[in-house]
Amino acid sequence: MRLALRLAIDKAFTAATAIAVIGLAGLLIAVLGPMVAGGAQAVIFTSTIEFRRMQLNLYNRGDHDQITRQIARASAARQKVYDLIDEFKQGIDTQYLADQVRRIHRQFGQELKERDITGPTYAELRAISAQIRDRLEHALHTDDQDIWRADLDYVLGFSSDSRLIGTAAEAYFRIARQLKQATNGLDLSMRSQYALALKELEDILQELLGPRPSSAAPPLLRQQYGATRWDQAQRLLHRLLYQTKWVEQGRGRPLVRMEVPRRQRFEGTCLEQLFDYVPNHIRDMLLPRLTFYWQFFIDDSLESHTFGGVGPEVLGSILITLMAMAVAVPLGIASAAYLAETRSTGLPIRIIRMCINTLAGVPSIVFGLFGLAFFVLTFLPALGLGARPSILAAGLTLAVLSMPVMIRSSEEAIKAVPSTYKEAALALGAGPLRTFLTVTFPAALPGILTGIILSLSRVAGETAPVLFTGAVAMGPIPKSILQPTRTLAYGSYDMAVGDRIAELSPHNQYGMVLTLVMLILSLNAMAIILRARASAKLRGH
Amino acid sequence: MRRSLSSATLILVVTSIALAQQLRIEGSTTVGPIADAFADYFKSIIPGLQITVNKTGSGNAAAALIDGRCDIAAMSRFMKPEEEFKKATQKGVMPVAHLVAMDGICLIVHPSNPISELTIAQVRDIYLGKIRNWQQLGGPDMTIVAVSRDTASGTYECFHELVMHKEDMAQSVEYVSANPQAHTRVSTTPGAIGYVGLGFVDAKVKALKIDGVYPSKKTIVSGQYPLARPLFFFTNGFPELGSISYRFVTFYLTEKGQELIEAKGFVPVTDY
Repeated sequence: MRLALRLAIDKAFTAATAIAVIGLAGLLIAVLGPMVAGGAQAVIFTSTIEFRRMQLNLYNRGDHDQITRQIARASAARQKVYDLIDEFKQGIDTQYLADQVRRIHRQFGQELKERDITGPTYAELRAISAQIRDRLEHALHTDDQDIWRADLDYVLGFSSDSRLIGTAAEAYFRIARQLKQATNGLDLSMRSQYALALKELEDILQELLGPRPSSAAPPLLRQQYGATRWDQAQRLLHRLLYQTKWVEQGRGRPLVRMEVPRRQRFEGTCLEQLFDYVPNHIRDMLLPRLTFYWQFFIDDSLESHTFGGVGPEVLGSILITLMAMAVAVPLGIASAAYLAETRSTGLPIRIIRMCINTLAGVPSIVFGLFGLAFFVLTFLPALGLGARPSILAAGLTLAVLSMPVMIRSSEEAIKAVPSTYKEAALALGAGPLRTFLTVTFPAALPGILTGIILSLSRVAGETAPVLFTGAVAMGPIPKSILQPTRTLAYGSYDMAVGDRIAELSPHNQYGMVLTLVMLILSLNAMAIILRARASAKLRGH
Repeated sequence: MRRSLSSATLILVVTSIALAQQLRIEGSTTVGPIADAFADYFKSIIPGLQITVNKTGSGNAAAALIDGRCDIAAMSRFMKPEEEFKKATQKGVMPVAHLVAMDGICLIVHPSNPISELTIAQVRDIYLGKIRNWQQLGGPDMTIVAVSRDTASGTYECFHELVMHKEDMAQSVEYVSANPQAHTRVSTTPGAIGYVGLGFVDAKVKALKIDGVYPSKKTIVSGQYPLARPLFFFTNGFPELGSISYRFVTFYLTEKGQELIEAKGFVPVTDY
C-alpha cells in the first residue's frame, strides 16, 4: 500500500514537471511566435515597384535598366487614373482654374506689349481680356447652372474674334470648352462636396502610388514613395474602395461603424470608372514581387526608421556589450577569485558580499542615473574628455550593472573546484598565482562562462542604464568609443514612444525586436560553444 | 529655381564652416520628431555633420542643457522659472527660447462615442473623477476611462495647468508614457478619453471640440483653440550667427523647415 502511494506520488511529480515544461514551451511560443512572425515581415515580404524605386534612389541597389523599365510600365498603367482625375477636376478645382485664368490675362497683356500694340487697340483688347477673365471667374464661383452656361457662352462668343486667334487669349476658350464639356451632368451645387471627396481620394492615391510624377517632391521621405509593401497596398486599396462611417443610433447609444463604398460619392460622374479600374489593375500599377531584404540587418535607417534597416543599432549594441564585458569580466573574475580564496570571514568580507548581493537586485534605471552622475558628469570630465554620453560611459555603467551576477557565479564556480587540485599544485611547488591561473581557473572556467553568458544577455538587452549614458535615438555611426551610439534596445523603445513609426511601419519595429533577440541568441550561442569546449578540455578530450 | 539656389548657397556656406562639427540635441518625445526631421535634412545637406538626437523628455532635456550635455534642448513646455532657470543661471547657463512650432492638446475619444463637444470645465470634472459615466454628458451608458500622460511629460504639465488648473487628477486616471500609447488606448477602448498632440489625430480616434472650437491648424495658430501650446528649442545664450546651432534653431523660419513641421503634424508659426 505504501509502495503504491509512493509510486503514485512519483508519477504525479513527473506529470507535474512535464506540465510545467509544456507550459513553459507554450509561453515561449506565445511570446516569441508573434515576434518572429512579425520580425520576419521586415525581411521577407512582397515588395512593390515603389520599394524597388526607393532602394534604387536611396541605396543605388538593383538593376538600374530593369527597374527603369518597370517604373515606365507601372506609370503607363497609372496614367489612366490620373487622366480620370484630371477630367473630373475640370469644373471642381475652381481655385486652380481661377488662378490659370488670371495668369492668362497677365500673359496676354505681356504679349500685346511685346508685339508693340499700343493706343486704343491695346486698350480695347485688354478690356476684352479683362471681361473674359471676370466672366470666367464668375462662372467658376456660381452654383447656378443657367448663370454658368450663360457665362461660358458669352466667353465663347469671343472665340471667333480674329484679333484673339493665335494669341495667349486662346487658352481662355480652351478652358471654357473643357468646362462646358466636363460639367455636363455635374450638379454644380455639389461642387464643394465633390472637392472634399476628391481631396480624400487623392490623399489615399498618393499614399498608394506616391506623388504624381508632375508634382513637386513632398518634404518627407515617406511621402515621396507610395506603398512599398503589397500588404500595405492592399489595406490602402480597401480604404480607397470603402469609406468608414460612424452612424448614429439615436440619443445615448454608441455610434456604429459602417463601410460605405466610396463610389457612391461620385455616382454619375466620369470618376466612377476609377473604382473598377484601380482594383483590376493594381498589380500592373505596383508590380508586386516577393523580396528577401537581407540588407535590413546592415542598412542605416532613414527618417526615424520609416525606411531602411537596423545596421547602426546592431553595431552599437555589440560595441556597448563588448565594452561592458571587457571591463566586467577581468574585474569580476579577479574579485570572485579573491572572495573565493580568502580565508577571512571577518565583517568587511561579509559586508562586501552583502553589498554585491544587494547590488544584483537594484533596478537598472538606478544604474543609469548613477552612470550619468558618476561616469558622464564626473569621471570623464576628470579625465578631460568632456561631459557627454559615450560608448565608454555606457559600457562602464553596464559593467557595474553586470558585475554582481558575474562575481556571484564565478565565486561559486571557483569554490566548486575540488581542493585536492589546488593542494596537488601547491605540493608541486607552484605559487598561489600560478596555482590559480593554471589549475583553479581552467577548472572553474565552465562555471565562470555561465556567469558571463547570463550577464552578456542582460547587458545587450538593457535600455535604462544606457538611456542617459551613451544611447541616442538618432545619430551617426560612432567612429570612436567617446561617441554615443544607437542601440537595438533603446531603438525599440524610441520607436514605440516617439513618432507614429510603430503605426506607419510596424514591420520595422518588429524587425528591430527580432534582431535584438537574434543578437542575444547568437552571442549566447558563441559563449555556450566556448563553454562546451572548456568543459571538454577539462574532461581530457 | 530660387529655392534650389538658396539651398545650394546654404550647402556651400554651411559645409565650409561645419566640417566635422557636431550638434547634440536632447528632447521631449513630442518635439523630438521635429528635431529628427530637421536633423535628417541637415545631414543630407552637410555631409560629415555629427548630429545626435535623443528623446528622454522635457525635464531631462532642460537638465542636459544646464549640465552642458547637449547644445539644443527641444522642449514641449517652457523652462520652469523657479527650478530650472535658477539652476541654469547659477551654473552660468543662459537659456534662450526659440519658438519653433505650435501644437494643440487634442482631447480624443473612440469614434463610436456620440459626444463631440466638451467644455474645459467638463474635461476637468472627468479627470477629477466627478463625472464617471458618459451618460452624465448625454452619451451612452459607459464608464469613462480617463487616460493621461505620465507626470514627467511636458504635455502633462500643459494639460495640468490649462485644464486642471494645477489640481491633482483622480486615482482612477490611467497613465501612459507617450502619445502613441495614449492614441492606442483610446482607439481600442470605446469608453476612453485621452489627450494627444495634433499630429496624432486621425480616423481611428475622434477629436472633440473644446469650448466650441475644433482643434485645427487654423484655430491653433490663431489662439482660438484654448489648449494650444508652443514648442521650443532652448539654447545656451543666442547661438553665434552662422554657427550650426544658429542654423538649426532658425531653420523653422525657412520654407523647407515649415514644410517639415507641417508634414510632421505640427503647426508652423508663420505662413509660408
